[in-house]
Amino acid sequence: MKLKKIVSLLCVAAISVGLLAGCGGSDGGASGGTSGGTSGGTSGGDSASSGTMTLEVFDVAANYQGTQSGWFGKLIKDKFDIELNIIAPQVAGDAVYQTRASDGNLGDILVLEAGQFKECVETGLIKDISSDIWNYPNLKEFQKQIDMLNNSLEGNDGKTYGIPTEMMNTSPTSYSQDVIYSSPLLRWDLYSELGCPDIKDLDGLLDVLEDMMEKHPTNASGDACYPFSLWADWDGGDGMLGIANVVQLTTWYGEKIKGSVILTPDEKFIPLTDKNGSYYKILKFLNTAYRRGLVDPDSATQDWNSACAKMSAGQVYLMWYSWQVGFWNSVDRLKDGSAFIFIPVEDQKYYTDADSYYGSGRVFAIGSKVDDAKYKKILEFLDWYASPEGLMYQHDGIEGFNYEKGEDGRLYTKNTNALMDNLPVPEEWGGKGYNDGMNAINQWIVGANSINPQTGETYSTSYWSTYKEETMTDMKKEWAAKFGAAEPVDYMKANNKLVISPNVSVSLPTDTNDIAVIRNQCNQTICDYSWQMIFVNDDATFDAKWDEMTTTMNGLGMEELMKFDIEKHTIELNAKKAAK
Amino acid sequence: MKKKFFADPKKVRGYKEFLYILPLLILVLVFSYYPLYGWVYAFFDYKPPFPLSWDRFVGLKWFRSMFENEVRLKQILTVLRNTFAMSGISLFFSWFPMVFAIFLNEIKCKPFQKIVQTVTTLPNFISWVLVYAIAFCIFNSTGVVNTVGMKLGLFDTPQMFLQSSEHIWFKMWLWLTWKNAGWAAIMYMAAIAGIDSELIEAAKVDGASRMKVIWHITIPSILPTYFVLVMLNLANFLTNGMEQYFVFQNAFNKEAIQVLDLYVYNLAMGSGGYSLSTAISILKSVVSLVLLCATNKFSKLIRGEGFI
Repeated sequence: MKLKKIVSLLCVAAISVGLLAGCGGSDGGASGGTSGGTSGGTSGGDSASSGTMTLEVFDVAANYQGTQSGWFGKLIKDKFDIELNIIAPQVAGDAVYQTRASDGNLGDILVLEAGQFKECVETGLIKDISSDIWNYPNLKEFQKQIDMLNNSLEGNDGKTYGIPTEMMNTSPTSYSQDVIYSSPLLRWDLYSELGCPDIKDLDGLLDVLEDMMEKHPTNASGDACYPFSLWADWDGGDGMLGIANVVQLTTWYGEKIKGSVILTPDEKFIPLTDKNGSYYKILKFLNTAYRRGLVDPDSATQDWNSACAKMSAGQVYLMWYSWQVGFWNSVDRLKDGSAFIFIPVEDQKYYTDADSYYGSGRVFAIGSKVDDAKYKKILEFLDWYASPEGLMYQHDGIEGFNYEKGEDGRLYTKNTNALMDNLPVPEEWGGKGYNDGMNAINQWIVGANSINPQTGETYSTSYWSTYKEETMTDMKKEWAAKFGAAEPVDYMKANNKLVISPNVSVSLPTDTNDIAVIRNQCNQTICDYSWQMIFVNDDATFDAKWDEMTTTMNGLGMEELMKFDIEKHTIELNAKKAAK
Repeated sequence: MKKKFFADPKKVRGYKEFLYILPLLILVLVFSYYPLYGWVYAFFDYKPPFPLSWDRFVGLKWFRSMFENEVRLKQILTVLRNTFAMSGISLFFSWFPMVFAIFLNEIKCKPFQKIVQTVTTLPNFISWVLVYAIAFCIFNSTGVVNTVGMKLGLFDTPQMFLQSSEHIWFKMWLWLTWKNAGWAAIMYMAAIAGIDSELIEAAKVDGASRMKVIWHITIPSILPTYFVLVMLNLANFLTNGMEQYFVFQNAFNKEAIQVLDLYVYNLAMGSGGYSLSTAISILKSVVSLVLLCATNKFSKLIRGEGFI
């Protein structure tokens, strides 16, 4: 009786808290909170017990931690009788790398950043795979690129430790995609409704966005829309200084932020805190947007999941990552013209990295503590992972569910909204939602734009001739007619608006302890001030804050950090110059 | 020799009883003393994954760097100010759970009392991450507060409550109290239950009103409990936990919300400033130890007895 009472009381309390939190206008199902809590625990090498081998994957690219489940989980279980236990620093916090590394065992399969890879080879955390790797034909395909990476390791005498990620079989100076990583993307229906005005500069872009917002202040379900919805939880990732949303947009002016310095199109390094640099320019742009009421007021306090929910609900009018459109664009929306597409801004020149021929910077490796059975299994798995069959699963999905062979022998996509809507996967392929069962390693040995020898087309479905035919919609035709090019990159190339930075494979020095402390403190300073600056109401405060920030950063040792970064990235720059 | 040892029953009993507390001693050693070994990191240029033996011994470099760099010193002072302010507020309001317990105890309708107690104790078991999720849902631009406020015409644009640093110390105290008050009151409820009921009945017979009973009997009886808790809190003055501030921190309130523990965390985690953070924590431990001894002395002075 008493227990019953307590239970019911607890329920009532929980429900009332939920009620309180749940009322108020819905905002596209935005879920608050920081994406924190995780189970740091890992099950050790309990491989042999159940027959199925469990491989621990230490994976800097993963944003899911735990056992790989769903269709991809079933696929590798059936094929190799393995299970993947993913350890994701993005979920568990970067400290998990440091604790596991000091422990002497990072995991069985490792996906590391270049700097970590270098450190781990030095400390003996990575297995030497020189004698076995070339027995695997699909990995041998990429011997040139793999050798390039390993030879760049200081003092390495021909040994092989790692495999680069996203290698391609094109060339290190070409650019074979239709869109670049970051460019202004607008909704075509809203843009054409305004009469497709030419956009001169960033202010012009804001004018267009303001008009869009005026005409459509809410989405179809009545939730407030804003051109900009920012998020703070990516700040300072990938060793960058400054807030992610600004850093990304600086590539619109041909500049590339390299730590504490900006690499300009004429190959000079200027300080990040230079008022003539693009960081200041873009920050000012976001501030102007805020002052014109175009920035979602939750921007500074929401996390990526909330921002993402708003994108999927059509509450955001400007996107800038090429993959971001995946949260909105679908074949249907391309057909009815409401999809996002690149709209050029006249004074911009876009920076992009060339095809990742030598890899995108991260590295696959095998932990030094694996036993022979595991070692063999991992190499087999990685070889399949780099094989056309494995790549089709990674980049295209399941045959019969995501694509099928037509009568003409060409491949046709289907269920293109599988990822966006997490479509249920039939039981025969493993059940659960499609997105739930996606490959949680989230990193590929071979890039999606490589040519699949079996079809002669790319792995990426968006370049299949059939897909191009299907998406040659009125919207695309109108776009092509207006801008005189078939695809965004064609337009950029034709108008000399693209800065392609060659792909190289060099090994760069990692931060010393002093530099690490300076970098961390400078980053926190610039991030805090940047967010404050986006939300100020006049130029004077903006500039005062900028100066205050610069003084603080200089006091923390910005000079020393810049010296280190310039030296570091000059190595890379010289290699790029040589590759041109 | 052996025979002699077992022959003395008193000694055997002594050793036997020692064995009873041995597990606890081991626990204390492992979890409280062994980690002190980690202090060596403060004297090295420690950088994972390189083992300590590879790293350079740098002596007091990291301690010096705290005070030599002007900006960093300023930061540390700000952080200390926040720590003192927030600990100070909690200390200033530390009577709150006691008063709450007293009034709770006065509720005569038992079911209602139990409901209040359960509802106020429950938040203690909600993690801070969830508390922030709730806060975000309530206070975001389309949350209940903004929606109701705008409907009532209190303001016409959404207010960014979580993003302002106004009264942040007090707001943090409110969150903390909401989460902890019920839990903290349990101790006082127990102390109140321990009061001799004859005392209260005698007072009532003598015509004491309810307030008089509380003032002259309940409060003096539980005051020793209160003092011990306050003293323990004082020793923990520099430790006000980081979870709460970690989840509520953002670029706008960080200046006011960053407390020592959070500063150490922000400095160390993910960026490898381990040595510097360790150095700061060492200083913190030293200061805490001094505070503990001082409050103990103080307690001896005013109460005639220490608490350790």
